Amino acid sequence: MSVLGWRALLVFALLAALPLVPGMSRYYLLLAFDALLFGAIAMSLDLLMGYTGLVSFGHAAFYGLGAYATAILMERGVQSVWACVGFAVVVVGLYALVVSYFATARRGIYFALLTLIFAEVVYTFFRYTQTFGGSDGIQGLPDATVLPGLVIDTPTRKYYLVLAYLLIAYAICRVVVASHFGRVLVAIRENEDRARFLGYNVPRYKMGACMISALLTGVGGAIYPMRSAFATPDLMLWTESGEFIISVMIGGLGTLVGPIIGGAFFTILRDKVSSIVDWYFIVIGGVLIVIVLFMPRGLLGLRRIFSRRAAA
Amino acid sequence: MRRTTWLVVLAALTVTGGAMTAPALSQSKVVKIGDLGSKVGVFEGYGKYQTMFMQMAVEELNAKGGVLGHKIEMISEDDETKPAPAVRKAEKLILQDDVKLLVGAVSSGATMAVMDVTKKHKTIHWNAVSCAEFMRTTKFHKYYFSNQPDSRMQANGLAKYIVDKMGKKVYIFYTDYAMGQSDGRQFKTALEKIGGEIVGVAGAPLDTKDFSPWFGAINQANPDVLFLAFAGTDSLRLMTQLHSFGMTKKYKLAGIDCFLLQQDLPAIAEPMEGFVQLAHYSAYNPDKQMAAFNERFKKKFGVDGNIMAGAYDGVLFWAAAAEKAKTFDADKVEAALEGMCVDNTHIGRQCIRKEDHQVVMDMHLYQVKGGKNLPIARLEGKDTIGSPMVGKDPVEGFTWEIKKKN
Repeated sequence: MSVLGWRALLVFALLAALPLVPGMSRYYLLLAFDALLFGAIAMSLDLLMGYTGLVSFGHAAFYGLGAYATAILMERGVQSVWACVGFAVVVVGLYALVVSYFATARRGIYFALLTLIFAEVVYTFFRYTQTFGGSDGIQGLPDATVLPGLVIDTPTRKYYLVLAYLLIAYAICRVVVASHFGRVLVAIRENEDRARFLGYNVPRYKMGACMISALLTGVGGAIYPMRSAFATPDLMLWTESGEFIISVMIGGLGTLVGPIIGGAFFTILRDKVSSIVDWYFIVIGGVLIVIVLFMPRGLLGLRRIFSRRAAA
Repeated sequence: MRRTTWLVVLAALTVTGGAMTAPALSQSKVVKIGDLGSKVGVFEGYGKYQTMFMQMAVEELNAKGGVLGHKIEMISEDDETKPAPAVRKAEKLILQDDVKLLVGAVSSGATMAVMDVTKKHKTIHWNAVSCAEFMRTTKFHKYYFSNQPDSRMQANGLAKYIVDKMGKKVYIFYTDYAMGQSDGRQFKTALEKIGGEIVGVAGAPLDTKDFSPWFGAINQANPDVLFLAFAGTDSLRLMTQLHSFGMTKKYKLAGIDCFLLQQDLPAIAEPMEGFVQLAHYSAYNPDKQMAAFNERFKKKFGVDGNIMAGAYDGVLFWAAAAEKAKTFDADKVEAALEGMCVDNTHIGRQCIRKEDHQVVMDMHLYQVKGGKNLPIARLEGKDTIGSPMVGKDPVEGFTWEIKKKN
């Protein structure tokens, strides 16, 4: 309770009631799954972008590796959510350890480029390795199980799975940003040299932020095949990383809640606009330009407008 | 956190919830079908023509009163040539729009991913262009049907002609994803079976911009024939570059049915001159049924038809099966489709083989002359379709290893 606050719990309670809304179709529950998953991953990235000042162009690799971890186990008959998530944590953790070790030793564009290069290597490996299905990936996966007999086989159950993930990820992020560790991250974002002069082991802190962000993203990736029944190399493409960054920008940097809204907004906007026009990315690009130019604090920046009006 | 932040969150939830719960307008006596294909990108042409052919079938059927007294309404979605968006859109079409038939996707990788969706949600699924060999073998399910000659069918028909008429030494160059790999595998298998020699194989990633790094190896292998398994804008770029390197004159060229659409040929008529492929349709085939069909299509859209005409047949078969079953129930329509024959398809009478739901299509070998695909030989469907292999691995024992001949 103290971690989340009653307002956050109220929002999660409302989200939990979503499947009960009259007229809620199975498709919209799956869309809600995508929206919350995308939002949760954008929030994980916000820990790095918004709080530490590090822009990662390689988060798709963490996401895709998590998805492949689940797919590889499921293909071999392991359907337990816990086993898949555990395996994903190990796989993504090992990869993130290597990436963060090298990338956090660099700043700015060099950090971004290193994360991108590592991600492209991973993408290429899975794209051309036939053991993991090559370009087709691993398809036709069975439904996951939470407990013996409790199968994640309906859109409603899948929705609650991703909601549980979002709740846990949000709680972890809240604890991190409220902690001393989180405050040091903000100090690094504001002035890395000063943080170093104050005696903080800056690379270690950056590496820690990178690991937490990567692991949360990897767990999100591990959940994705439980909804889609496949994992393909496309999940690791740099464009996917770009969409995570766009979601953070749309929602509002350094707010945690903003990227959740941004990710959900991006997913729903993409779904709706792409059903109307083929060139939907132009529309999404236009929205992004408007937000960057006129709402630099993202959708969550709207609260300032509301606050001012309320004060007036 | 400040109260206003949560106000924004609640507002977003309200908007999201509102958008999600807005019920689709339902009309009485309307049955929906889904068109899932690439509307942008490397396979854009195939997706757009799929839509046009389906539209033509829908309008013709509606003019005759629709199906079971229902007007057919078609809903089109873009698969973005990737599995993830294809699955999302397939779910939207099935779960939200309640389509009774789903035609698509275009790329083999996307179609195979969509097959899991149509299987799970018990929806009649028609494939009119994807040709990976797994769809009527290991990935097959009872609601899946296809009138696209898959890699095995194309290889069976084309390999003999190449060995007999074009040359025995062949280099396989393919687009390195499901479709190209499948075409390459099946063609290599078929060619080696009848005494041909593969002198080299290479794969280039989908959407490759510069193919020249592979040309050295091709020239070094010095084949008689260059077999090309590419499609869409990849094919356009490849042919332009092969031509500029003088390789379209140096080697005889052959390829898959969807290498390029008829509409693309005039622009690169010279590089494509002499290119041989096996296909079920050409706007320049003098066959009466095809000519009449093309005339109708051209009258409606102002352009010639192409191999995407298979999507037209998909709608016709489904409508005929629904009429026969007297219901749109997927299980009953599926049962009616098994073994069904339809007379007025784009190439005349065609029948569905019961065992693997593949339409047994008579096809032609075509050669490009002056930017037109002209028929040079006719092959009967029973000679190319191969035996049913549902549940069996179509690539068991296959290896890309090159067997050198002395």
